[in-house]
Amino acid sequence: MLKPFLIAKNLHKSFNSRKAVDRVSFSIRKGEIFGLLGPNGAGKTTTIRILSTVLEPDRGDVIIGGYSIRRNPDAVRRLIGVCPQELALYEELSAIDNLVFFGRMVGLSGSEAKAQAVARLKLVGLTGRAKGRVDKFSGGMKRRVNLAVSLMGHPKLLFMDEPTVGIDPQSRNRIYRTIERLRDRGMTILYTTHYMEEANRLCDRVAIIDAGRIIAMDTPLALRSRIGPPEQVTLEDVFLKLTGRRLRD
Amino acid sequence: MIKPLLVALYEVRIYLRDRGDLAFSLLLPIVTFALMYGAFGGQDTFHGTAHVVNEDQGGAYSILLLERLEENDCLDVNLLSVQEANSKLDRADLLLILYIPHGFSDAVASGEQGQLVFKQRGNGGDEGQVVASIVRSVVDELAQEFQVHAQVSEALEGTGIGQEQIDVTVEQLIEEERQEPTVTVGEETLGGSADPVEAFLPTIVTMYVLFAITLTARVLVEERRRGTLERLLTTRIGVGQLFFGKFLAFCSRGFIQTLILLGLAYAVFQMFTPLSFIQALVIALVFIAAASGLGLLIASVARTEDQAVWIAVVFTMAMVLLGGTFFEIPEVGVMSVLSKISVNTYANDALKAVINEGSSLADVGMQLAVLAGVAVVALPLGRLLFKVLPGGR
Ligand SMILES: Nc1ncnc2c1ncn2[C@@H]1O[C@H](COP(=O)(O)OP(=O)(O)OP(=O)(O)O)[C@@H](O)[C@H]1O
Ligand SMILES: [Mg+2]
Repeated sequence: MLKPFLIAKNLHKSFNSRKAVDRVSFSIRKGEIFGLLGPNGAGKTTTIRILSTVLEPDRGDVIIGGYSIRRNPDAVRRLIGVCPQELALYEELSAIDNLVFFGRMVGLSGSEAKAQAVARLKLVGLTGRAKGRVDKFSGGMKRRVNLAVSLMGHPKLLFMDEPTVGIDPQSRNRIYRTIERLRDRGMTILYTTHYMEEANRLCDRVAIIDAGRIIAMDTPLALRSRIGPPEQVTLEDVFLKLTGRRLRD
Repeated sequence: MIKPLLVALYEVRIYLRDRGDLAFSLLLPIVTFALMYGAFGGQDTFHGTAHVVNEDQGGAYSILLLERLEENDCLDVNLLSVQEANSKLDRADLLLILYIPHGFSDAVASGEQGQLVFKQRGNGGDEGQVVASIVRSVVDELAQEFQVHAQVSEALEGTGIGQEQIDVTVEQLIEEERQEPTVTVGEETLGGSADPVEAFLPTIVTMYVLFAITLTARVLVEERRRGTLERLLTTRIGVGQLFFGKFLAFCSRGFIQTLILLGLAYAVFQMFTPLSFIQALVIALVFIAAASGLGLLIASVARTEDQAVWIAVVFTMAMVLLGGTFFEIPEVGVMSVLSKISVNTYANDALKAVINEGSSLADVGMQLAVLAGVAVVALPLGRLLFKVLPGGR
């Protein structure tokens, strides 16, 4: 395998003395799909916010493509794309306008942004609805626009925060296919989800995070082997065994 | 530097597509102004109709009297037949009618007393009473002229001066007196300008501009909640650029709104010259910059959209009331002191000076400086408090 593209070292982040991210360290190799799994409130989104330079960690550092998020956040931003958990779109604008706008914000020229927007919409299967207003779209279509926006500017590393929440199997499958195609083109992806088969199918390696701490990290197969014969054990069994059945609220 | 401009451009596109927003910022001011114009406008001086029955058909003096009544700016003359007049009085459609009886002109010509009659129901109504007193003064004036004519003729009888020459000379004298009366009565209007358009139109425009801009704070708080701001921070726009872009966006939508409203005012009321229109736009622009700074400050301190709306409404209402939007602020006293804290006061004063008094921008330099000062203070303060993500950048 290739050398790490992302190295997170001993990240800490607290909100009013509540630890959201606690001693988190991991690395992601180039071209890898890395899953970050954890119950609600585990610290997945906070971790992504730190990695994507939106939040500064209280302690620790992250190196992405050789650049530190602390010392060189601008260089880091040039390498990353973020597909946020919440739909972060201008609903009053059309799909293509959203893509072109965010494309211009990552520094593309008008014509580059236009061309990339058309290509990204094709990738997520929305060519026919390019000019439709986003607020008229179904949940699945919005999710796909959300993903397409994060691909503007050819990021080398993509953060995907629960990109398949609340959508039908058709849209979800389209998103899986998109991710697989991106991986085939060599993109590095950090992926968070609550759906264990999803992680099992897509991820090369997963980390399980609970209460801000990483409690296990390995390939899905190796994790399943830990608690029994891998063909009889699901990743969900592993997840529940490691994180417990207690409700997180 | 192109990024802030693009942020503003896209926000303006959203604004122009949002019907609710457009209705609030453009339609509502027009409706408000139309209502105020209906309430205070049009009828600033008395105007009434004198209903007249002329039974002295063809009489020289009755024709003269009707002419004089017509000439009066406050009166229209409506001629009625006897039957019409009587039935209207009976049905109380009209409350007061002037009758010029048979032989009125003959009587006046022969030096007898000409008798006019008011027929009225009750006291003749408010309008009737005013009309009657205007008619009386016109009749008095006529009577005095007749008297002068008669006395001069009598005094000059037997001097061999022709009657025609006497008439012409007396007529000239009377005309001179009418042109340059010995005693004149001037008018001074105290409090409010007599013209409601000039008094209220600028204040209503600034009110809605301030409302629209401060309420835009809600949009920014909504963006923070929805995550579009956070997403922008993972692109290559910095927080400062983003903040400046939003400032430009606030200014642009305020300017579009003002341009349309003042442009309409120009077209409908012809209240501008090309120069005063440009000057008004410059004043509006400085006001918009101040309002945008304040709007961003509201967006920076508000935690939720509801909070943003409440702060915007309370703030704008205070500014509007103290800014003399609906009534003139007296020049001395507590209100006058309080009005100094309202940004609207400065904008309204400057706009009125330019529109109504033909002042130049230099004359309203103090007002412009105060407004610019507000923008200069509010912007950095807003930037300081502006957080895209609570606890983050
Ligand atoms: N800005 C913030 N201010 C205060 N507390 C926060 C903030 N952001 C996150 N938290 C807290 O930090 C903890 C981790 O939240 P985070 O959103 O990272 O979890 P998550 O794993 O993404 O959960 P979910 O699966 O529900 O998205 C939670 O307890 C949350 O309440
Ligand atoms: Mg989350």
